[in-house]
Amino acid sequence: MRWGMVIDLKRCIGCYGCQLSCKAEHGTPPGVFFARVLKQEEGRYPTVRQLFLPVLCFHCAEPPCVDVCPTEASFKWPDGIVDIDAEKCVGCRACMMACPYTQRYYHDEERYYFPNNGPTPYERARSERHESGVVMKCNFCRDRVGAGKEPACVANCPTLARYFGDLDDPTSEVSRLIKERGGYTLHPELGTGPSVYYLPP
Amino acid sequence: MPISVGRYEQLIQDLRAEVRPQREWIERQGLLLIVGHFLSGVAAGTWLFSLIFDFQAGLTVAYCIAALSGAAHLGFLGRPRRFWKMWHARSSWIARGFIGLTLFLTGGFLYLPPLLLPVAPWSSSSLIAQAGYFLALAGTILLLFYKGFVYASSKGVPFWTSPILPALYLAYALRGGVATLLVIFSLNGIGLDLWELGLLELWIGISAAVMILFYLGVMSGSNPIEQYSVRELLRGRASVSFYVGTLFIGLFIPIAIGLVGLGTPLSLAAVATVGLASVIGDFFVKYSIAKAGIYRSLRSPAHWDGGLTAQARK
Repeated sequence: MRWGMVIDLKRCIGCYGCQLSCKAEHGTPPGVFFARVLKQEEGRYPTVRQLFLPVLCFHCAEPPCVDVCPTEASFKWPDGIVDIDAEKCVGCRACMMACPYTQRYYHDEERYYFPNNGPTPYERARSERHESGVVMKCNFCRDRVGAGKEPACVANCPTLARYFGDLDDPTSEVSRLIKERGGYTLHPELGTGPSVYYLPP
Repeated sequence: MPISVGRYEQLIQDLRAEVRPQREWIERQGLLLIVGHFLSGVAAGTWLFSLIFDFQAGLTVAYCIAALSGAAHLGFLGRPRRFWKMWHARSSWIARGFIGLTLFLTGGFLYLPPLLLPVAPWSSSSLIAQAGYFLALAGTILLLFYKGFVYASSKGVPFWTSPILPALYLAYALRGGVATLLVIFSLNGIGLDLWELGLLELWIGISAAVMILFYLGVMSGSNPIEQYSVRELLRGRASVSFYVGTLFIGLFIPIAIGLVGLGTPLSLAAVATVGLASVIGDFFVKYSIAKAGIYRSLRSPAHWDGGLTAQARK
């Protein structure tokens, strides 16, 4: 069993729905984005096209962030999800330096979206689980997955560009898409074995 | 609660940028990590050469510097009260460094009292003191090596993932040790063979200069992010500290005075200048290299469509 995600770049329209739904699900502080969308323009007028690359933690099979963690706060679940035990994290940020995809964030201090008014009731309810002085990252919405749901970014993608499933199961939809449509990973040369694949546009 | 709007804006700007500099290990609290790395290297080098030259004052100074290094490391951590959890040494160089520092401080605590105190609870030939000697030596070796490997294992920052860096940081730790002994010597002028020490300092200094040039040469011929880091070091935000701190103060001054010292005896003030300049250079080489660190980019065209864009360009 190894959870993985496939993102179809042909379907992605760069709407930021994944980013917003992740924010809503996890209540991450300002400046912390477990899911992001990178945008890039190619070409010159009138033949210009805009490309979108949604990124998140790649839940590597050989995660460098886990290797460098001095406290085992960064660890990998048996189902392949790379997670952080915030109670073990000392905030050394070695994992941030080790992650080749820059998908980790240091939560240095309590921060709210309306600094002059303090936390909103929503922020208070959502953010109390986030300790400061530790590193944060996407965990493939582990609570949702455990409850039989899809990660928030997958469930809320309006163009159905994201697929979630078992990479070890050759009959799963994610495995089929990777095989049939030439799914690829970022920085394969590093040998980290990312669990997030992209389908070319 | 403190609200750092400026820091938030900086973060957002970094996330939008084509290349994103690492700030966690150099800015604000992060500076304490560089100080900690610098001090731990100097402490290990000083301890090693004090043992070789049988110089008790150096051992004491090395121990105090190591204690300061521990304090700096603790100050850097986001959750310093959990420091005792850092034992995962199977693959983590930070944990190995922590173990090294613990061994060093424990060993030094057992080894030093009979040497320094007229009435110590145990003698310098006792089993306790001997155990302390070996513990501190094991800690010294770990402290000499771990820093370079901490950086070299940081896959997110290509500029650091070079096998040259551990060798460079080892050379600088040894040099920091010799330099500290020179400073201590210049204060009282006794206890050490200045000629031997000066020659050692000069030799390691020239070796470090060659290694830096080699490192930059290799990195400037590597991938675009590493080349960007080299530009940051030579012409960007790390250039002042690199030219002034690392090259001029840290290498040019000590090597120039050292070469003069080969022909004529140096005054104590000149010896102190060589020592201090070398120590300052040791700090700035770590500072500059950390500051030039740029995260690996996801914005390469090949990433966006599996290489189709790059192929289309051809």
